[in-house]
Amino acid sequence: MIDELLANPVTLLCVVISLAVVVAGLVFAVTSPRMLLLVIKNLRRNLGRTTITCLATMVLVAMVTMIWTVIYTLDMVTTEKSKDFKLVVTERWQIPSQMPPTHADYLNPESPKFLPELKGMIGPNDFMTWSFYGGTLDPTKFTRENLLFMFVMNPKHIRSMMDDLDTLDPALVKKLGDTRTGVLLGPERLAMINKKVGERIKVTSLNYKGINLELEIVGELPAGRYDQSAIMSDAYFNDELDKYARTTGQKHPLDNKRLNLIWLRVRDRETFSKVGEIVENSPYFADRPVKVETASSGIGTWLAPYADILWRVRWIVVPAIIVSMTLVVANAISISVRERMTEMAVLKVLGYRPGTILKLVLGESMLVGGLAGLGSAVLTYALVNFAMGGIKFPIAFFPAFFVPAWGIAWGFALGAGTSAVGSFLPAWSARSVKVSEVFSKVT
Amino acid sequence: MIVLFGFLLILGAILVVVVVASVLASVFAIGVAVAPVRKVPFRYNLRNIQVRWKTSLVAALAFTIVVCLLTNLLGFVKGMDRLTEGSGVPGNVLVLADGATDEAWSNLPTSSVLQLPRDLQLLIEKNKDGEFLATQEVYVIGTHVIPNAPAGGPKRRFVQMRGLDNVRIAAELHKIELESGEWFSSSGVREIARDHNGSTVKDTALEVVLGSGLAKTFGQDVGKAALEPGDVIEMGRRYWYITGVMKPNNSAFGSEIWTKDRTVQELFGRQNSYNSYVVRTKDEATAKQASKLLKEFRSERAMNAQSELEYYSNLTRTNQQFYIAFMVIAVVVAIGGVLGVMNTMFAAINQRKKDIGVLRILGYRRWQILASILFESLVIALVGGILGLILGYLITDGVSATSIVSSGQGGGKSIVFRAVVDATVLLTGLLFTFVMGAVGGLIPSLSAMRLKPLESLK
Repeated sequence: MIDELLANPVTLLCVVISLAVVVAGLVFAVTSPRMLLLVIKNLRRNLGRTTITCLATMVLVAMVTMIWTVIYTLDMVTTEKSKDFKLVVTERWQIPSQMPPTHADYLNPESPKFLPELKGMIGPNDFMTWSFYGGTLDPTKFTRENLLFMFVMNPKHIRSMMDDLDTLDPALVKKLGDTRTGVLLGPERLAMINKKVGERIKVTSLNYKGINLELEIVGELPAGRYDQSAIMSDAYFNDELDKYARTTGQKHPLDNKRLNLIWLRVRDRETFSKVGEIVENSPYFADRPVKVETASSGIGTWLAPYADILWRVRWIVVPAIIVSMTLVVANAISISVRERMTEMAVLKVLGYRPGTILKLVLGESMLVGGLAGLGSAVLTYALVNFAMGGIKFPIAFFPAFFVPAWGIAWGFALGAGTSAVGSFLPAWSARSVKVSEVFSKVT
Repeated sequence: MIVLFGFLLILGAILVVVVVASVLASVFAIGVAVAPVRKVPFRYNLRNIQVRWKTSLVAALAFTIVVCLLTNLLGFVKGMDRLTEGSGVPGNVLVLADGATDEAWSNLPTSSVLQLPRDLQLLIEKNKDGEFLATQEVYVIGTHVIPNAPAGGPKRRFVQMRGLDNVRIAAELHKIELESGEWFSSSGVREIARDHNGSTVKDTALEVVLGSGLAKTFGQDVGKAALEPGDVIEMGRRYWYITGVMKPNNSAFGSEIWTKDRTVQELFGRQNSYNSYVVRTKDEATAKQASKLLKEFRSERAMNAQSELEYYSNLTRTNQQFYIAFMVIAVVVAIGGVLGVMNTMFAAINQRKKDIGVLRILGYRRWQILASILFESLVIALVGGILGLILGYLITDGVSATSIVSSGQGGGKSIVFRAVVDATVLLTGLLFTFVMGAVGGLIPSLSAMRLKPLESLK
């Protein structure tokens, strides 16, 4: 959690701002309770304006929180970790990466062909392979609802290597391992194909022409990241490719290209460099050269074509929304201050210092902004994560994005921060009000 | 979930009613403003805007930001749309392997038009030399190690490479012309002299033609505006000699490298296989007819034929995804702007209660007050909105960017495109401005209309 925070300066800044605002608010409430009451009374005087400002802040904070969720997630997955990070081995010069299955033998610590140079650097739980199988449940209709895209892998690597599946029920993994034709499906995918656990499905392949599968749904993957995913056992897949060779008398065109990705886990950057050097220079991979990169670097390459659009969203859209929020607050507070100029002058006559008047106006604005921002972020967090099943914006390998817990700090800091900035000039003009000038205009 | 859906449905319905009512009321207000009927003088509204210039300016600025943002975002989607639409040539038929939804996943054997039945051959056009306008294309996505990659950024990029059996026919088929240089030779290789540790050594380079967008991307790697014919790049342990650069023609091919089919097949292990066949027919109707016949034709491998226009229009799924996301952002930000103008107008009415009372006593009717206030709100919105459109046009139109277009079923093409702010984008921005001004002004105008003359004069 702390690592995550330190890795993201914007989130860190938001947490610092939030803490500072909360502490300042508490000090203000404890040292000047009467002032706090005055702030609340002032806000209640024009409920319409307070509500409109509050709503505008909430709407805009919700938008920024959702946009920043996408950016934050992409930032986090493309940020290099310092320890326990995953490496991905793929075909060096082209995508889709299609490697011969023998490539995995040299990198599998449990295989007799495992490269001896790698001993001690990769453990049995630090290895996983993926093949991708895409098919349709109805060969006459290629609709999204009928399409099924599966990770083909050894079930025993699911808990140890798949992101966020370390807590998957071991019984489910065992069931997948024991059921040769078993498949685990994400809840949304299950609903989309209108099937339940225990039912069977027939899949006509799109990428492995002629390798059609009959699968039994043995369980459900957890909701969230794996909503749309499917995992099947590599044993059945490999058997079917062998069967194809036996029945047709020739190997399937993709037989020797069936391996798409090999995942390894290493303890630190130094080990990564060593593993990379050994694997990339090994003669065993000469027929189909491979590259070794960190998962974050690999994902970064996939996301590169989106870089321009993401840059615009990060540096134009989000700042524009923040400026827009600031203007709305500035407008509301300046109207409020102008309407209360006489009152400000009276406060000065009663002995209130200019600094106190400044605090009073800033306090009003920040209370509305901070609370609206906090409320909006909490609502966004709950709605997106629990009711909507994430922000459905498929980009690269991410079907949906979930608001992190830090999102609440973003909302609070954004609401309070834009309110402070937007209300500063009006608050300054309230602070600088000249009593004689105001009373000379009073009729 | 059902409760949320119900809530959103009700909210949506209320919003639609408010928007429709606001637009109707605004049309009415504009009608009153231009019609020769008795109305509150427009000078009165102008004077009020002038008196409250600071809050009016801030409200207008909020509109400027929203509309500028919308113009910017829609300009990018429009650019992507133009590029995908421009990539398909009417009359062209694209043939992929059966089941393949994208070129990258397709695998076809070597073939020839002459293997097709006679009735199909008759549908295929010929060039002036009597050759069939048909090509076999091998398409791969290679990885390019970025020279001088900035720290923290990606070290590699994906590069789309198209191997062609006859580049001149392919260029004619895809309507691609060269901006500079020449097409690669029939051998596809040439000898180059390159620098190696200070001395010049001879090497063999593979000849390529670069798309204009890609020439710029590669050029930026080495500090040039764009690569030119004669430049050499290193990719996949081989040297690639650029013989020509394509003319920008707003198509996905501008983001590709074209080379000899053999080169791609040998380097990427695709011996004797292609990803697609493209043939030219007389027109779009004939293309559809030919697609149908090709699907029915039983060759060595079943084929998925479709008109090229159809194929590229399916690739706009990503564009639609961005379009929806950008519109959602724009609408939500607009709600913020609307609430801002609402605040301004409510404050204006609060300040002018007595004025409104006097106007009512002078005989102005409620609807005339409503029209006047609503018109004032529209003026503020339009001033801000038009400024936003101008600003959005200036910072968006013609700006180069990269993205991916895909059908959403795997694959896709990485593209370099130019953002386009055309009349549709400007009109959408203007419509947005009008609706925002109308919605922001309606409720304050209604409250002004309801003021009782004597009470407001107290």
